[in-house]
Amino acid sequence: MSKYMMNKLMRAIEMSDRSVESYLRDTEAFVDGWLAGGAGPDAVADDRVLTDEERSAFIARDEGELYRLGAHPYLLWHFIEAVWVHQVDWPDLNERYRAAVRPHGYPDYVA
Amino acid sequence: MAHLVMAAATPHNPLLWRTMRDPVPDDLRGVADKFSLIGATMRELGVDVIVEVGTDHVRQFFSDNCPAFIIGKADSYHGTFENEVRTFGMEYCEVRGHRELADHIAGRTVLTDTIDFAVSHEWRLDHGFIIPLAYTTPAFDIPVVPIHVNATLPPLPRPERYAVLGRHIAESVRSWESDARVALLTSGHMATEIGGPRQFLGAGSPDPEFDREAVSWFRDGDLEAAIAGCTFERVMAAGNVTYQHVNIISALAAMDGRPADLAEATESRYASSPFFLWRNA
Repeated sequence: MSKYMMNKLMRAIEMSDRSVESYLRDTEAFVDGWLAGGAGPDAVADDRVLTDEERSAFIARDEGELYRLGAHPYLLWHFIEAVWVHQVDWPDLNERYRAAVRPHGYPDYVA
Repeated sequence: MAHLVMAAATPHNPLLWRTMRDPVPDDLRGVADKFSLIGATMRELGVDVIVEVGTDHVRQFFSDNCPAFIIGKADSYHGTFENEVRTFGMEYCEVRGHRELADHIAGRTVLTDTIDFAVSHEWRLDHGFIIPLAYTTPAFDIPVVPIHVNATLPPLPRPERYAVLGRHIAESVRSWESDARVALLTSGHMATEIGGPRQFLGAGSPDPEFDREAVSWFRDGDLEAAIAGCTFERVMAAGNVTYQHVNIISALAAMDGRPADLAEATESRYASSPFFLWRNA
């Protein structure tokens, strides 16, 4: 699993209004565009890799699965809140989020 | 010789920004009053500069470059981020820095023998730093030396290191050739969970036993018990972001481990809020 990369993608989306809008407009294209948007083999860093499970969870906007896979809880909640809050009332979103993560307890999120 | 005239701890719950408005709701009046008390104490004691120990919430410092301790050396800091404006309704602001004191705390050319600080000249302060300042110094008219301690991206500093940090800040102020009056302001939590199955469960603490015990450390001035009680496992069992509570140990240590004049976990619709105050004038 590449927890660091999941966190990096969640953070890249959540910290920018424009990225939240782009992710919502075409989620799969956004995720694949992000994966392809690293700096390339000549760069010191910024290689971007997600496993198939992680990529699918981002495309499905599946908070339970991202949580199970070890996404950082603080980043995950704020990512999910940014993505869903205009479609789901906040109390319902909070309830849904808790229900989604509860079966997984406290996964190891140390990247 | 400068004088450390007070130390304090406040919460930094950003949800307060939308809800703790005039007229202040009854359940938040205790929180508002304690913020006011700490702000009034700063003014009464003539505070010239604030050393603020807090934790950035993976906004400025991420896992690509994650210091354990970092101190700000900038002349000024921008406050809050686009996502905090969107999510919490916070407003962008500007906070003055204090380069001379930051240099003295970190060591200007060679690091001190207690804390190996990273330094930053360009740092946008998130709600962990801005909320305590906004409620205690709403005009942002007192310069600040921000110190971030990593409490969110393990591995984290052990609680003993926070005590070392607090003593180091106190000693740095004592040895600073200045007549400035300095406040140490720490920003933290009581038991709190964000992003886990116990988040936002309504009024009350996710771990009242932890909160009761933690208040007693500061009320009784028991630094050893605070350090012993803040193991990673115990603190995280109280709530998955509770490690920011450990910031408050630096205030207790800076006050030589003596009992706080105010020690309270203030209840409201949210997880309880830490309010601790030591006058040292």
